[in-house]
Amino acid sequence: MSEQQKHSAQLHEQFDRVWGNLPGFGQLAAVNHTSVGLRFVVTGLFFFLVGGVLAMLMRTQLALPEQEIIGPELYSQLFTMHGTLMMFLFAIPILEGVAMYLIPKMVGARDLAFPRLGAMGYYCYLFGGLIILSSLALSIAPDSGWFMYTPLSSSTFSPGPGSDFWLLGITFVEISSMTGAIELVISILRTRSNGMSLRRMPIFCWYILAMALMIVFGFPPLILGSILLELERAAGLVFFEVAGGGDPLLWQHLFWLFGHPEVYIIFLPAAGIVSTLIPVFARRPIVGYRWIVLAVIVMGFISFGLWVHHMFTVGIPQLAQAFFSMASMLVAIPTAIQVFAWLATLWTGRVVWNLPMLWILGFLIIFVAGGLTGVMLALVPFNWQVHDTHFVVAHMHYVLVGGMLFPLIAGLYYWLPHVSGRMPSDMLGRWAFWLVFIGFNMTFLLMHLTGLLGMPRRVYTYEAGLGWDWLNLLSSIGGFVMAIGIAMFLLDIFLHFRFGRRAPRNPWGADSLEWAVAMPVTTYNFISLPDIRSRHPLWHNPQLPFEIEEGKHAMAVIRHGRRETWGSDAVTGRVREVVHLPSHSWIPLQAGVVLAIVCLSLLLKTYWLALGATLVAAFIMLRWSWVNGAHPDMAPVRDDDPSDPPLHSRTHDGPGRWGMLVTLMANGSFYASLLFGWFYLWTASPQWQAPEQGPLALMPLLASGVLLSLAVVVYQWLTQRLRRGVTRHLQGGLWISAGIGLIHVAVLVWLMLAAELTPTQSAHDSVLAVMLGYLLFHGALSAVATAMQAVRVRFGYVSAQLPYEPLVLQPFWSYTLGVFWLSFAAFILLPMAW
Amino acid sequence: MTFPPWHPIHLITGLTVWAIWFVVLYGGLSVACEVVPPDPTRGPLNWLNALLWLSTLVVVGVLGWAAWHCARGTPENTQPNRRFVARTSAGLYFLSAFATLVVAVPVWFLPPCI
Repeated sequence: MSEQQKHSAQLHEQFDRVWGNLPGFGQLAAVNHTSVGLRFVVTGLFFFLVGGVLAMLMRTQLALPEQEIIGPELYSQLFTMHGTLMMFLFAIPILEGVAMYLIPKMVGARDLAFPRLGAMGYYCYLFGGLIILSSLALSIAPDSGWFMYTPLSSSTFSPGPGSDFWLLGITFVEISSMTGAIELVISILRTRSNGMSLRRMPIFCWYILAMALMIVFGFPPLILGSILLELERAAGLVFFEVAGGGDPLLWQHLFWLFGHPEVYIIFLPAAGIVSTLIPVFARRPIVGYRWIVLAVIVMGFISFGLWVHHMFTVGIPQLAQAFFSMASMLVAIPTAIQVFAWLATLWTGRVVWNLPMLWILGFLIIFVAGGLTGVMLALVPFNWQVHDTHFVVAHMHYVLVGGMLFPLIAGLYYWLPHVSGRMPSDMLGRWAFWLVFIGFNMTFLLMHLTGLLGMPRRVYTYEAGLGWDWLNLLSSIGGFVMAIGIAMFLLDIFLHFRFGRRAPRNPWGADSLEWAVAMPVTTYNFISLPDIRSRHPLWHNPQLPFEIEEGKHAMAVIRHGRRETWGSDAVTGRVREVVHLPSHSWIPLQAGVVLAIVCLSLLLKTYWLALGATLVAAFIMLRWSWVNGAHPDMAPVRDDDPSDPPLHSRTHDGPGRWGMLVTLMANGSFYASLLFGWFYLWTASPQWQAPEQGPLALMPLLASGVLLSLAVVVYQWLTQRLRRGVTRHLQGGLWISAGIGLIHVAVLVWLMLAAELTPTQSAHDSVLAVMLGYLLFHGALSAVATAMQAVRVRFGYVSAQLPYEPLVLQPFWSYTLGVFWLSFAAFILLPMAW
Repeated sequence: MTFPPWHPIHLITGLTVWAIWFVVLYGGLSVACEVVPPDPTRGPLNWLNALLWLSTLVVVGVLGWAAWHCARGTPENTQPNRRFVARTSAGLYFLSAFATLVVAVPVWFLPPCI
């Protein structure tokens, strides 16, 4: 072993000691992105298999007419669970898992910005998924379809616990999507290696940035809808029942406000895989990088303007339908920009048709076909004709399987050597591809025809002689061929860990930084962090992986024992601070378990247990918040603390503050959805009734708002002084701000009790109650978090040298104040003025 | 406050304006049809469609100006990072203007509340 190799080995040992997971059961406390990302991927594949088995059961039932293998009740559960598993428990989590695994490696970071958040997200996903799946094992699974339309999913027509499993389970799982999205946004924007400006960022990062921001804005409407529907089912509040002034169409709006962007949330990361792989195998940079960035951003926005095309048959005026029809066709433009960029890259490159490229080819064919039927469905008259037929099922699968599964498998094959250090079998992989490709087209190409011949979706059987028999039989055979192909793919993955030939470093000749990481992958990614001067660092300097490993670049010292990575400017990528990251922790698992208890106790309607578990969860979250910044378990102040750049917890604007802002964007989307619900019911609900006199006393409400404003003014004054390094009266001031905030909360509680709302009888009072609950939650959280900051001042974790945390909390106070006065205007003043 | 053409805020401003306009267009149409629907016998020639067109033209004008502003502000010798942001933003403003115009096309020939 040469001197250089010995030095590299020593560095590896030192880094592994700090970054390595705990042994045995201690693995459950792992927070690093490689472990968490891989767990998401493996768990996602498990749910994919279960969802696939459900699909095979349905195809068995439909293979021949008038079969009675599966009855209508079970069939309804199967199609509901198939859609739910594939959309919520497979597609989004596995793609987020891939992104969580790859993003830090691609941007030259050692971990994601908020490792504990990612770990907690995983446990929420795992437990939530198992809770939903358990309903199937107990034969009480949801059976109203994966989009849970009311009134079918309401308590009148679905009195069993199936809908509750869906609503509570999916909301629980969505915590993980949201936490993953927030940390991906911040990691991409704020932890890139030095010099990686926006224009040098790997194209995959643009896709993930767009996807994550879409989750931030797109998921809250469904979270709100699920909460409202569960409140209606469990507590008798009125939101979707016409009799009390609700409207079932509100559910459709809230669902599809999420549901249509969801398609692009799934497509974008998969397209990111395509845009990453094609240049590598075409042996040239991608054509039109800037055009693709532009297309991704356009897609991220326009896809939010299409939701009503799922509702063309519900009685919306023609002109409004036409707006959505045009927007639906418009989204073909950014899609086409990408397709042409991919084709141009292939056309002008020297393409190597390796195994991953075969799957990319399948993607191009199937996805373009699915896109074309999408444009057909955007046309209102055609949409009416094929509404709720198998044509829609076929289109959806062309888009989702073509647009997501094929690129995903291409990506899994491509990055497999990264994880295992071994190459997959070319022969098994090609067999798998052809079986899946042929089986898929046999199933779904024919299904277009079945739909055009009028076969409705969601029927458990059909009469013979309607012209659907042979089509269904062939679709079923195709389904099983596809299943064999998937089994072969999984067999290939499984076998390659033992029999695959050893992969050389950077086996595909890629250009991006993740291939500079040792293979199999290490826990810390990079011993030293390089300066980035090119969009293709490994093509620019093929020796870079070895230089990194030998510690020739920045931050190759770890004697301090902290987990560290760069914090950089969002636009230029210039280093601004050293981000210190938490080590392994049991808190994410504890939080996940307790939240699962909350979910289960709500399902079992043991509300006292739910309340108790919620309080425990709140305590765990506060404990989480406590172990931060200069806490001895994180980064206590030391004489050798770096000062240029400083540790992020010693600055005014670290990733945590950015994380708070992105969280508030999601929160704002949730609140905007609530406002939408209020105005929608007010203007569109057929039996909406508002009392002559508003139920809330005006003056106490105003007083409550003034108190809140006062608390915020005090807080702002303190943080302004803190920015200037003045800490006189800081602790006392924080106590005062928290105290005034608590009085504001007390007044709100009193108002709520005194108002004598009747939420079980009127939608008006139900929405008002939810709004008050929302304001209460924010007021209370602001006050408690501020009180904790006051205690932290006393412990020396917040000071002139450590001003960070109160500044992170500051936007939350401002938001709380903003939503209070906005609510006052929208829920109180406007009805008075009307 | 004005932002130079290479400020990253331009990457999202154009489409944000489009999104707000779209919500106002759909929401405004729905509320107007509920509260003061125009006479259906007049077809697309009524005050509501005229208002929708006016809003479209204003938004297209603003977005077109912003596209021109970003494109003009980045000569070849501009620092590459700045040029990248400004030119991408110019394209995004242009596409936002185009999207506004395309979505509003049906206002020409469809009555609003039927």
